[in-house]
Amino acid sequence: MPQTSPKRIAVIASVYHYLSHAQHFSDRFLVGYPHRGRWHRPHMQVVSLYVDQKNAGDQSLDRAREFGFGVYPTIAEALRCGGDRLAVDAVLLIVEHGEYPNNEKNQKQYPRYEMFKACVEVFEKDGHAVPIYVDKNLSYSFPQGLEMVSDARRLGFPVLAGSSLPVTWRLPDLELPLGCRIEEALMVGVGGSDAMDYHALEAMQCMIERRGDGETGIKAVRMIEGEAVWEAGRQGDFSQELLIAALSRSDTPQGLTIRDGRTQDMVGNGELPRIVPHPAAYFIEHRDGLRTTLLMLNGAVGDYCFACRLKDNPTPQSTQFFLPPTPPVTYSACLVSKIEELIETGRSPIPVERTLTVCGILDYCLTSKTQGHVRIETPDHQVIYRAPSGSHHARD
Amino acid sequence: MSRRPVIAAIATIYHKFSHAQHIVDRFLEGYGWAGRHHRPPMDLVSLYVDQVREDDVAYDRAKRFPHLKIYPTIADTLTLGGNTLAVDGVLLIGEHGQYPQNEKGQRLYPRYEMWQEIVRVFETSGRGVGVFNDKHLSWNWDWARDMYDTARRMGFAFMAGSSLPVTWRTPSLEMPYGTKIEEAVCVAYGGVDSYDFHALETLQCMVERRDGGEKGVKWLRAYRGDAFWQALADGVWSRDLFEAGLCRSHTLKPARAGFNHIFPTIDEMRQLVKDPYAYVYEHTDGLRSAIIMMNGLIEDFNFAARLSGQQEPFSTQMYLPMPPARTSLANFFSPQVNNVEEMFLTGHPAYPVERTLLTTGLTAAGVESLYQGQIRIDTPHLDIVYSAPERSTFWRN
Repeated sequence: MPQTSPKRIAVIASVYHYLSHAQHFSDRFLVGYPHRGRWHRPHMQVVSLYVDQKNAGDQSLDRAREFGFGVYPTIAEALRCGGDRLAVDAVLLIVEHGEYPNNEKNQKQYPRYEMFKACVEVFEKDGHAVPIYVDKNLSYSFPQGLEMVSDARRLGFPVLAGSSLPVTWRLPDLELPLGCRIEEALMVGVGGSDAMDYHALEAMQCMIERRGDGETGIKAVRMIEGEAVWEAGRQGDFSQELLIAALSRSDTPQGLTIRDGRTQDMVGNGELPRIVPHPAAYFIEHRDGLRTTLLMLNGAVGDYCFACRLKDNPTPQSTQFFLPPTPPVTYSACLVSKIEELIETGRSPIPVERTLTVCGILDYCLTSKTQGHVRIETPDHQVIYRAPSGSHHARD
Repeated sequence: MSRRPVIAAIATIYHKFSHAQHIVDRFLEGYGWAGRHHRPPMDLVSLYVDQVREDDVAYDRAKRFPHLKIYPTIADTLTLGGNTLAVDGVLLIGEHGQYPQNEKGQRLYPRYEMWQEIVRVFETSGRGVGVFNDKHLSWNWDWARDMYDTARRMGFAFMAGSSLPVTWRTPSLEMPYGTKIEEAVCVAYGGVDSYDFHALETLQCMVERRDGGEKGVKWLRAYRGDAFWQALADGVWSRDLFEAGLCRSHTLKPARAGFNHIFPTIDEMRQLVKDPYAYVYEHTDGLRSAIIMMNGLIEDFNFAARLSGQQEPFSTQMYLPMPPARTSLANFFSPQVNNVEEMFLTGHPAYPVERTLLTTGLTAAGVESLYQGQIRIDTPHLDIVYSAPERSTFWRN
């Protein structure tokens, strides 16, 4: 048994109901989760909770009663557990789901930045900062994301952020060699913007950040939609070979497969334009010259698949980021083990710059969309980082 | 072989999500493999379908693939309407379709009857070609043994089995070759007979790699209902291996409302699992194995074993992307077809049919034990000795 007293955790959530992100993640600290073939119970204790919106199905009071923690009316009080000084060892900021307005770029304005700043204010006032886990994107706004990371650096606390996709199982268990030379990369995703394109971009980023000397920042982006996507494919703006490779990893092709169960080469048989009425392509130009593409192909497949071509290797590398069924959402357990590592070690196992990179890519791509799908230069996207040397996805 | 091999398929039925559709379609349409849309370097040219129902797609396939012809008999399918064997490989897919069940709950798929017709063509032609038999050999042990003996006697390549041994694993682990295994379990789900076989193959593809190879099975006993819960309490199989299996599941049903993933107590398991059963069996070399069927709690196939000298269980899940609930394609057939392709190209089975001969016998013994009131069944006929190949044949690329 561990001799140290359990780390104390504050949960700051937008909502807490069944199958909300707060429930997925916080519950694992309360009841444990499977890890490396065992049911693991973190040596940590949720001691306080703040919930921004309590709707029908709210579970916050039930959980507080059963597991013996307080629900506080403000973030500051949650971090201080009702006292006058910071009284927790870590903060989980889980602001996903809930009713929040969309802006003119159709980004859902989750108040992650505002809530993060409320934590920072406590850290500053109390002269002490602790690790924060930010669920999903840092913010819909790249400037806000930059400021959040800047705050963390200034006050010297670690931040772990991001999606579960980079840490879930991969089919196959592909990890690109650290320092590899990537010639081109492509990701296929599905779902709405700006929720699911974010996941897909982060899945791609966790692969390509292992190239060369790491991520070098973004030079420009462009997002296009509709027929222009197929035309871009015909013009060679993205590789058909990589699209085939990514789709070859899908377990969920639609169209003819739904009709009679058949396997299909959806690029070769020309089905894609017929079954994907509203495709979108996100083109990303990295500062080191790498070009990457996210294709959001609603109607084609239902999963998230990646492909890239490495220098001097004629065979594309490809994999599926495996999202097991909901419930029990086992992929969120993979991320919780990373959160535990953050809290235990005081260091984020995954660089927050990964999420900051994607935060900027997505924000600029949606600007491109609203400005008539033009190419947008991104001079302030100078997020430079190296991938961690170890692998952090589920593989043992 | 310089020309492209030609293949015949003998199927019970061919409709969406039947095994014939999954397997034959992959030969016709190709399938995602190693980052490409792989088209097998062979032509599936002839097909026999025993039962045709309203949603049949065999005739659609024959229309869309002009090189494919449907024949009225198995003999014609193998001779392409001529007098002598005219194909280089045979797929025998006797799964799905309307066939009676016997009093023990075994579905009487006519695999052996179809096999006999195939072998008759081989005999009259004076040669045999590689045969892949989908799932277990026959529900009837004597017939299964005869299939195996006939293939050996005539000297043609013979492969069989489930896709569980060759599908993805999460994590992507292979049993270390030559390791000493003290106990192994498969924690799974499904129905008596049909899914028993899958669970037994899941377990066998791992334990056959143990030190000394497979030496056969001495006895088997089923536990069901109250006897199951008592056996769990008594430690008839190790609790930690059982729990390791559940911890590899991606489908553990929440035992409490409002939680999405919570480890159940035994009382909660009893609420969720109305008809649990297990087959516990002992191999000739002393290894104890069990398949533990937890319908209502999980919907996947998980393996756990205690390796000699290791405290932590060795565990993984054999993952089936199962349509229609989770996927649209049963892609676990892709590695199976890929291994069968290899046999058709090389003339050598990619993995030993003795594995499936053993699991066929274990399936029948399990059903028999249940039928006879969960008695211990001695299995001297399962003295099946074989070595697994060291190389891995499951999906990892």
